[in-house]
Amino acid sequence: MSDNIQNLQKSLSERLPQCSVKIRKHGGVELNSSKENLVGVLAHLREHFGYRHLSHISCVDWLEQNQFELVYILWNYESRIQLFVKVRLARENGSGISIRHLWPQADTYEREIAEMYGLPFDGNENPRELILEDWDAMPPMRRDFDTRAYSKEAFYDRPGREDAKDVRSVISGRSGEEIPEIAIPYTRK
Amino acid sequence: MEFSIKGMLNPLLALQQAGKRPHTIQFPFEEKKVAERYRGLHFNDIEACIGCGTCSTICQNEAIDMVEIHPGDSESAKPGDSGLRPRVDNGRCCWCALCVEVCPTGSLSLTSHYNYVSEDPDSFLWTPGVSNPEGRKELSFVSDTSHSLLDYARVPMRELEGKERIKSFAEVVLGYADEEAQKEAARCIGCSICTEVCPVHMHIPEYISAIEHGNNEDAIRIIYDNNPIGETCGKVCTRRCEEVCPLGARGEAIAIRWLKRYATEKAENADMIREIVNPEIKPPNGKKVGIIGAGPSGLTVAYYLALRGFDVTIYEAKAKAGGMIMYGIPKYRLPLDSLDKQVEYMQSIGVKIHFNTKVGEQISFSEIEKNHDAVFIGIGYEVPYTIGIDGENLENSIQAVNFLRDINADKHVDIGSRVAVIGGGNVAIDAARVSRRLGAEVTILYRRREEDMPADWEEIEGAKQEGVIIKTQAIPLNVVDDGSGRVKGIRYGNARMVTDEKGGRPRPELIEGDEHVLELDTIIGAIGQEADYSFIPEDLKEKIGFKSGRILTNEWQQTSVPHIFAGGDIVNRTADAISAVADGYKAVKGIEQFVFGK
Repeated sequence: MSDNIQNLQKSLSERLPQCSVKIRKHGGVELNSSKENLVGVLAHLREHFGYRHLSHISCVDWLEQNQFELVYILWNYESRIQLFVKVRLARENGSGISIRHLWPQADTYEREIAEMYGLPFDGNENPRELILEDWDAMPPMRRDFDTRAYSKEAFYDRPGREDAKDVRSVISGRSGEEIPEIAIPYTRK
Repeated sequence: MEFSIKGMLNPLLALQQAGKRPHTIQFPFEEKKVAERYRGLHFNDIEACIGCGTCSTICQNEAIDMVEIHPGDSESAKPGDSGLRPRVDNGRCCWCALCVEVCPTGSLSLTSHYNYVSEDPDSFLWTPGVSNPEGRKELSFVSDTSHSLLDYARVPMRELEGKERIKSFAEVVLGYADEEAQKEAARCIGCSICTEVCPVHMHIPEYISAIEHGNNEDAIRIIYDNNPIGETCGKVCTRRCEEVCPLGARGEAIAIRWLKRYATEKAENADMIREIVNPEIKPPNGKKVGIIGAGPSGLTVAYYLALRGFDVTIYEAKAKAGGMIMYGIPKYRLPLDSLDKQVEYMQSIGVKIHFNTKVGEQISFSEIEKNHDAVFIGIGYEVPYTIGIDGENLENSIQAVNFLRDINADKHVDIGSRVAVIGGGNVAIDAARVSRRLGAEVTILYRRREEDMPADWEEIEGAKQEGVIIKTQAIPLNVVDDGSGRVKGIRYGNARMVTDEKGGRPRPELIEGDEHVLELDTIIGAIGQEADYSFIPEDLKEKIGFKSGRILTNEWQQTSVPHIFAGGDIVNRTADAISAVADGYKAVKGIEQFVFGK
């Protein structure tokens, strides 16, 4: 098995010299592509490396680097080696490229990512709503989406919860600790 | 009546169904097996849970409240437990399991159980573990320390190598760099469980959070709010806080002491402390307080009273301030310039210290009483107990506190090349490690087992790394004379541990005939200290209450003589710097109340 993975890594590196290829610690092979090469790379993998199945498209929000990362997870039924194709895109005003022409089921994943991350796909404009209805706030899977604030606004507190206590106040009340003003901004909320 | 063979046989057709799968449903109902790590309803191990509230804090749906299971639980809980337990609003929960991921004790889990039926459409609130005690058998999504949002491993502290250490009195601990400190601080869950066991109740989660965010100056201000010797505590504190840190339940506690050390060291000199802390100093209120002893308790009283506008004077018998932290703790643990800096800062805000002024010699106690509205006594335990064996008075049989005091005062002490230290506390370890630095081969003789030693395990480890030999279950019998009044060696007997019939800890019992002599140049006794109260006039001594050598006080450190307050080793049993600071801090309030008649 490890021989197969190494052979795959070697031949991928030779055939797709513009991509970096590495073996993943927990199994499978990872391939990084540029946005320009992505569709060609995926088509090549499908036609020449036996990756006929698209398992999933995932998205990672690299907030600090101001980038989104799309992860295309492919499966080869013969070699049974999973392949992860990654591409980094601009987080603000960036877009992905649709691969609906390669795998029709990509449509669902692209719709989901567009809706949940606010990342549009060229070639899959104005996708229909998937899960959210009439959503006009920040796409909720973005890491800067404040889930707690949203939940506070959207839901009421159920009656019967008034007896909740704050751990910090219970502890300081018991010990007689007086928390000074300078410390309050640092207290856990 | 016509006979019909058909009517007789037709019912038998039912038999053809015998080999087929039944259309009926299994009763009682059997639930389908759920997937591995399925996230169903919560279960909480109420005994293992310490109520840190991290689950409640992380919940993005605000579905978790911290509540008392029985009224009064939060008041009666033991230190290390808030007494609260999580209650989930299942109408808001989305089963993301973040609460399980951040549970430091691992008490909270999700079960494989997903059916919940109730006649009351509003009964969404339930307390995991209490509402479903049977959940213990159905755990499915459990927290795992190897894959967790919490970091259970402490950022290691860099130290000098053992061989390098014994060449000098350089500080052993090298301290955290900025990124190390921030990484360590980021591990803290901010629960504040630690603050209760800290005798001073320092604002630990707050200063750690300030460090995490790179706001070291805020961290310093928060530390100085109730501890004026934060840097000392950052180096030598006995840190009971770390013993109750929830992360310690399954991993390593936050390095609270080292983080405090990191922050306070950012103020490199007294001027910088003054500039950063920038304390409000109230105008003089005309009240005078005399303090006997410039140890941790006396310094704390002096600092906070001076800030409140009192005229404070400390009377210190020795040439430098600090008491036991100056003369008892070796400089490789607490360097001189660090202590000087802290004392200098206190002097800069108005604390007056009269050095080389021993009460009872240079000034009388009555005079201090006469000149001040209140008096605080914080003289510490400076007089060593003797071991109580023959030959102990020989030359070269010395006491650890005297030895450490002389070394810290830069005096030359000739201990020769072979030293034995008698005792198992921190003072014994300090004396042993100092002796190693003076070039001697050192053996510690201790009556009980290593796990019985009252010293910090880190100190014991440190001593071993430096080549100190620890001989346990060894009872000193007598000091061997060389014939000219000097120590030649010590005779000791090996002991076996016997269980105490009264239920106490196992005690050592001499093994008859198993006696040995260890040849030595110096014996250092370190079995404990007491206080010297000779400066207090006899009539006053009778009024102040004592119990087993300690002064009795009320919760404000006030003795039965209303204008006399006391604190530190002469009052509390824990006898460490942080307890002395705590006593001092309480005395500040006590003195204020007494002087202003509140």
